[in-house]
Amino acid sequence: TPLSPQTRAARVRVGKGDKLVTYEQAHPPHYIGHRKGWLSLHTGNLCGEAGAAQRAVEDAFLRRFLHGTFPGLLADAAVLKRRGNLLVICALLGRALPPHKLYFLQGYAETLLGHFYKCPVRLELQTVPARVPYKYL
Amino acid sequence: NLMGTRLAGSHVDTQEPKTNPLVCISDEPETLYKRLSILVKGHDKAVLDSYEYFAVLAAKELGISVEKVDKPPKTIERLTLLKSVHIYKKHRVQYEMRTHYMCLELKYLTSSTAAVYLEYVQRNLPEGVAMEVKKTKIEKIPEHIRKPVWDTLPQVEETEVKS
Repeated sequence: TPLSPQTRAARVRVGKGDKLVTYEQAHPPHYIGHRKGWLSLHTGNLCGEAGAAQRAVEDAFLRRFLHGTFPGLLADAAVLKRRGNLLVICALLGRALPPHKLYFLQGYAETLLGHFYKCPVRLELQTVPARVPYKYL
Repeated sequence: NLMGTRLAGSHVDTQEPKTNPLVCISDEPETLYKRLSILVKGHDKAVLDSYEYFAVLAAKELGISVEKVDKPPKTIERLTLLKSVHIYKKHRVQYEMRTHYMCLELKYLTSSTAAVYLEYVQRNLPEGVAMEVKKTKIEKIPEHIRKPVWDTLPQVEETEVKS
C-alpha cells in the first residue's frame, strides 16, 4: 500500500469532539521552538557536543519508568533537565493518590534512579485537579 | 578591686586576627589574563539572551570590563532520512538542529577574579546550554629575548685587512 501524503508524526487526528487534548499534544513538532518548548533539555544535540544517543536512551527509559511508577496519574509529559551531573525531572500529576503515598513514590523514584544512573536525581512533582484542556478534538 | 578580677582571666590583649578560612593569601604574583572569551551555545535564543543579560550584569557588579558581546550567526545541522522503514525511497523526512551562539569577551582580569567570575557564571548555567572558555595569558618576555642579540655579543676588535 502506498504511503499517505500527510505526515502523521506526533499529531492528534481530528475526531468527534470528545477527546481532550492538552497544549503539548495539540501542537505538531514543527512548532517546537516557536509555540512549544523542549521536553528534554541537554547539551547532546548542540554543534560540537557529544552524548546525544545516551541522553535519548536515558530519556526514553525515564519516561517509561515514570509512566509505570505513577500509573494513570501523569497529567502531561514530564520535562527532563540536566544541569551538570544533576538530573531534574519535573512532572505534573493528578490528585488520585493521597500525599503521603506520593511522597513515598517520589523518594522511591529518586533513590532508584540515582542508583541506576549514578548521578543525583531530583523529582519535582506538582498536582493539578485535572488535565488542562487546550482543545477537544 | 573588682575591675582587676574580671579582666584577669579574659584574653583581652592577646586576640588573634580573625582569618576567613575561605580566603587564602599567597605571595606569588598572580597570572594576568589579557582576554577571557566565553562562548555560549544553545538551542533556544531567548535562554541565551537572558543569560547574556545575567553574565553582563555579574561582570559589571564585580567591576570587570566587558570588551564586547558578539552574536555569531546560528548553525543549522540538517538530516534527510527515509520516511518509511522498508521501501519508498522517494519519500523522506528532514530534521534540523539549530545552535545559537553568544560570545562574551572580558578584558584584563587576574586569575582569582577570573576564577570567581567563572565559578559564579558556570554554577548558574541553564540546562541545555553549553559553554567554552578561552583565556589569553599575559606573560613577561623570557630572559633570552629581552635584549637584541647584537648588543649582548662581546665587542670584536676590527683587524686591519692586509692586502
